[in-house]
Amino acid sequence: MPGDHRRIRGPEESQPPQLYAAEEDEAPDPRDPSRLRPVYARAGLLSQAKGSAYLEAGGTKVLCAVSGPRQVEGGERGGGPAGAGGEAPAALRGRLLCDFRRAPFAGRRRRAPQGGGEERELALALQEALEPAVRLGRYPRAQLEVSALLLEDGGSALAAALTAAALALADAGIEMYDLVVGCGLSRAPGPAPTWLLDPTRLEEERAAAGLTVALMPVLNQVAGLLGSGEGGPTESWVEAVRMGLEGCQRLYPVLQQCLVRAARRRGAATPS
Amino acid sequence: MLREKGTRFLVDSVGAEQARVLETEVAPAQAKAREKMAAGFKTVEPLEYYRRFLKENCRPDGRELGEFRTTTVNIGSVSTADGSALVKLGNTAVICGIKAEFAAPPPDAPDKGYVVPNVDLPPLCSSRFRSGPPGEEAQVASQFIADVIENSQIILKEDLCISPGKLAWVLYCDLICLDYDGNILDACTCALLAALKNVQLPEVTINEETALAEVNLKKKRYLNIRTHPVATSFAVFDDTLLIVDPTGEEEHLATGTLTVVMDEEGKLCCLHKPGGSGLTGAKLQDCLSRAVTRHKEIKKLMDEVIKSMKAK
Repeated sequence: MPGDHRRIRGPEESQPPQLYAAEEDEAPDPRDPSRLRPVYARAGLLSQAKGSAYLEAGGTKVLCAVSGPRQVEGGERGGGPAGAGGEAPAALRGRLLCDFRRAPFAGRRRRAPQGGGEERELALALQEALEPAVRLGRYPRAQLEVSALLLEDGGSALAAALTAAALALADAGIEMYDLVVGCGLSRAPGPAPTWLLDPTRLEEERAAAGLTVALMPVLNQVAGLLGSGEGGPTESWVEAVRMGLEGCQRLYPVLQQCLVRAARRRGAATPS
Repeated sequence: MLREKGTRFLVDSVGAEQARVLETEVAPAQAKAREKMAAGFKTVEPLEYYRRFLKENCRPDGRELGEFRTTTVNIGSVSTADGSALVKLGNTAVICGIKAEFAAPPPDAPDKGYVVPNVDLPPLCSSRFRSGPPGEEAQVASQFIADVIENSQIILKEDLCISPGKLAWVLYCDLICLDYDGNILDACTCALLAALKNVQLPEVTINEETALAEVNLKKKRYLNIRTHPVATSFAVFDDTLLIVDPTGEEEHLATGTLTVVMDEEGKLCCLHKPGGSGLTGAKLQDCLSRAVTRHKEIKKLMDEVIKSMKAK
C-alpha cells in the first residue's frame, strides 16, 4: 500500500483472478428457509486470554478472546445512587471495548488488514448487543476487552461473532445476566418476500436485505438488532425477527453444552 | 525429611492407629502448602525459580533444554484462501492464509512476481498488544519472513510471472498469531511453508487478440516449492545457557535470543540475532547442529501432512 511503511510493500494495485474467469452461474441451492447449519462451539482454547471461544457454523469461522477487567484511570468521582445488588453508580460502571477484525483471506476478495468503516460498525454493533448482558456495574472503573477475529466468512458473520463473544465472556468468568445468541437472516430479491435463516455467503451476496438479531434466551429479551436493505412490507420484517428469535432459541442448548464441557475440562486440568 | 519428623511426632503424641489416620490427611495438605510456596516463589523471584530448574537441566514444563514442544500442522482449513495452514507449537498458534491476485510486474524486474508477507499480532493473542497499526514486534516478524523468503528462494519469483512486463502473480501471505506463547518466528515460518505447499493457482492464458488474461478456475496447479526452510529459535540465559523453543515466560527472562533458518543439505538461509548477550563460536555451532536435526523433524511432519491431504 502506498504510504504504509509499517508493512512490506507490494504492488500498487492488484486484481483477483475471478474477474477474468468465465462467468460461473452459481445459484444457491433451494433449501428449507428455517434451517440452521450445524454449529461447532468450543470455549477455553487460548492460553493467553482470560476467556476465549471458537465458533464454526457452516463455512463461517470466528475466534473470540476476552481480556480484563483492567483498571482504567480517569473515572469521575461518585455521583448518583448505587444500583441494586451492590453495583456501582452509573457514572462508575465498567466499560466494554469491542474489536472486530476480518482476516485478509476471509472473503472472496482480499481485504487490506487496515479495516475501515465496516469493521468499526460491526464492532459497535457487538458492543451494543453485549452490554445488556454483562453486569458492568460489578466492575467499576474497569475495562473489558473483547476481540473477535473472523477467519472465514461463510455467511452471517456478525451473528457468529456475537455468539462467540458471549461464550468467551462466560468462559472468562465475567458476571453476566444471560448469554447472547446471534442469528442472521437474509431476503432474496424478488416480489415474494421469503426470509432465509442463517444464510450462506452466496445467499448473502445476492440478498436484497439482511438482518442480524441478538437474543438473551433465558430472559427472552432482544439484546441487539441490525438490519439493512430494500424495504418490504412491515409484516415481512416482523416475520423475519420472529424467525430469528426462534433460531436463537434453537441454538441455545448447543452453547450450554459447550460451556459445561469447557468447565469440566478446566476442572480436570487443575485438580485442587 | 520433614514428613518423617512429622510422623514420629504424631506417633509419640497420639496413638499409632490415630497417627495413621492423621498422616493420610496431613500429607496432601503439606503437598498443597508446598505448591503454594512454589507458586509464590515463582511470582516473586521468577529468574531464581528458573535457575533452579536449569541447574537440573530441565524446565518447569518438564522439557529438556533441547526439546521442542508438540508441533501440530493443519492445512487447507480456510476455503476462501488459496492456501492456508494452522500451526500449533505447544500453546503458540499461528494461522497463515495466502491469496493470489494479478498485478503488473515491478518495472525494474519485469519477469518477476511478488510475494508479500504480513505478520499480524492482534490483541486477541496476548494482552500486551493493542489494536491499531502493526507494532514493533509485528514489523520485525514481517521483515524476518520477507528475508527468509528472499534468502531461501523458496519460490522462484520468475515462476510467478505470467506475461513478462504485463502480468504476474502476487501472493499475499497473511500470518495471524492466534495465541502468543513465545517462539513466534518458528511457528510463522512453519505456517508459511505449509500454506505455500497447499496453494493451488488456476491456469492463466493470455488471449492474443484481446490481450486479456483468461483464467480457468477448474484447472489448478500446485506451486513449485524449491526449498523447505525451517526455523529454530533459542533463548540465552545468563549469557551462557542455551535453551530451545522458549515459551513466553522464558523469552521474557532471557538475556538474548537467536533464530537460525536451515535448508535441506544443511544450508544456512538466515540468522537472526537481535542484540542480547554474545555467543561463542562453539555455542553457535551447537545451535546450527540442533537446527539441522529440527529441520529433519519438521520435514517428516510436513511430508506426512501433505500425504494425508493428497490421499483424501
